[in-house]
Formats: sequence, structure tokens, C-alpha cells
Amino acid sequence: MLSTKLTITLGAALFFYFIIILLFLKHRAIELKYTLLWIFSGIIMAIMIFFPYTFRAFIHLLGITSTMNGLFVFFIGVLIMICMSLTSIVSKQTNKLRTLTQELAILEKRIRELENKERENRPLD
Amino acid sequence: MDKQPKTLIIIPAYNEGDNLLQVIENIQQCCPQWDYLVVNDGSTDHTEDLCARHNICAVHLPINLGIGGAVQTGYRYAFKNHYDIAVQIDGDGQHDVAFLGDMLRPLIRQEADIIIGSRFISKEGFQSSPLRRAGIRFLSRLIQLCTGIRIYDVTSGFRAVNQKFIRLYAEQYPTDYPEPEAIIAAVMHRGRIKEVPVIMRQRESGSSSIHGFNSAYYMIKVSLSILICRITFGIRR
Repeated sequence: MLSTKLTITLGAALFFYFIIILLFLKHRAIELKYTLLWIFSGIIMAIMIFFPYTFRAFIHLLGITSTMNGLFVFFIGVLIMICMSLTSIVSKQTNKLRTLTQELAILEKRIRELENKERENRPLD
Repeated sequence: MDKQPKTLIIIPAYNEGDNLLQVIENIQQCCPQWDYLVVNDGSTDHTEDLCARHNICAVHLPINLGIGGAVQTGYRYAFKNHYDIAVQIDGDGQHDVAFLGDMLRPLIRQEADIIIGSRFISKEGFQSSPLRRAGIRFLSRLIQLCTGIRIYDVTSGFRAVNQKFIRLYAEQYPTDYPEPEAIIAAVMHRGRIKEVPVIMRQRESGSSSIHGFNSAYYMIKVSLSILICRITFGIRR
């Protein structure tokens, strides 16, 4: 059971959490598909804060006696998941960046050669 | 392959301005019939100027991708330009292209898909320090354990591959310290690997990228990636 004070504090924190996500989305600073995990975790967090009894049986099943500890374990799990998804995104982007760099360099070589050829073929004034 | 195969020599170079000319001269003397491509991996020295001044065939990567990314650029170029064989040599002057004739023979006869120039078969020339040799032996044994194939010089950057592996390496090539990983990827794609004895020289100038703390990182990273590579490719073989 969470105290009323703690519920209000966590509820306020969650409110700001959603506001920040919405601001990011509004300014297109983050893509919607990347925020899905954040929004999903926010909804679960809201349920855990405002209806702690819903998860009580599940938390007890895991061997966690206090609801607050259950909340912490859940938050840590969510953070690890988000970190892993970020690593995956970064790795994919690294691959894309590498391919782009290589293609760019090969194209640059081709343009350089074409320019040289054109210069050689240009009639002398 | 009845006609002379179209061959490209890939030379990855990062700040190798002092050695590069000698490498190119060596190629022009020993095998002028083959094309070469210097992959300037975002060098901060005079490599780009040098290439322009001496009319050296080069691609200039705008950012440093590391040896794996640079070599892959060469394979990508070879694939786009329909080369039959691609050879990779180091830009530091360690590898003598005079051995290319011996190296390419099994490829032309289609007896192998990948040829590795090995300094540990005839045991002549530059053999590297005892500590490095021990590291190479360990990686060689690890690759043998994972694939059942014994390759002695697993870190040799002196290699030649046929069209099938030009295509494969153009699509995916390991990064960081790619040589041992490239071997395991090749074995997993049912590549026939053959080692040919070569004599290597000590690098002309500059220093190797693997030293000190890097060596420990190198061993851990490469061992781990060999194991992961074997596990992820497990189904295919």
C-alpha cells in the first residue's frame, strides 16, 4: 500500500513524464515509434501508482513483499529495456552511417574521375 | 575462368602517407596488369594530397570508419565494378605483392574461395613478437574449436577472395579488428579457405594499432566475437 503523500508525489512525477514525452513529440524531437515504449511504461507505472492492488498478487508471486519495492524493480526493468532498445537503434544507425559513408566516397571518386575526363576533353580556348 | 580474371588490390590506409608510395610502386612493378584502390580512411596526414599529386587511384572516406569499414569500402567498390578477384593488403608496406601470383593460383583454378597469405607456414621473414604469436595461436585454436578448420595466420590482412566473397563482404564485414571474424564468417558461408606461405616485412614506419591496453581489449573482443559469430551462424552450418 502506498501512502497518499507518495501517491501524489509519484502521480505528479508521472504527469511531468507524460508532458515531456508530449513536448518531444510536438517538436518532432523524437519519433513516435521510439516513444511507444516510453508511453507504454508510463501507463503501467500509472496503474501501479494509482491501483497498487492490481499488481499486489503478481508482486507477491515474485517474492517481493512491499509494493514500493515492486515499483522499483519494475522501473529498473523498464529502464534496462529502454537502454537495450537504444543500443539496438544506435547499432542500426551505425550500420546505415557506414554504408552511406562508403557509398559517398565511391560516388565522390566517380565524380572526380568524370570531372578529370571532362577537363581533358575540353577544347583549348 | 579462361581469360585473365579482373583483379582489384584493396589498400586500406589510415595515416600511411609515409608508406603508401612504396606500396603503390611495389604494385606497379610486380603486377601492373591489376587495378588497385587505396581506401583513405579519413586520414589526418597528407595521404589525400599525396594521392592527388601522384594520381593514385583512391577513395577518400569523409570520416574514419576503422579498418573493417575501409576494407569493406574496397569490397563494395569491387562488387560495383564487377571484379572477379579482390585482394586486400595493408597500407603499411608489410605485404609483398610479389606473392600474389602464388596466392591467386588456387582462386583461378577454383580450388578455394579465400586465400590467406600466411607468415607461419614457411616461417620466414617478419614473425611478430612472441606475445603476439601466442595470441594468434590462441585465436587460431579457438577458430579451430568453433569451425574444425585450422588456420595458422588468423590475423593476416593479406587476403584474396573470389566473386562470391566479394559480394558477401561488400554486404557485411566485421568492424574493429575484423580479420579473425571475417574468417569465421567465411567458414560459416561454406567458404573454402586456403593458406599460402608468404614472407612479410616489418612495417616501414608508424606503429601498429594494437598495443598495450588495446591488446587485452583485442583478445577479449575477438574471442567473444568468434564465439558469438559461431553461435549466431550455428543453424547455417
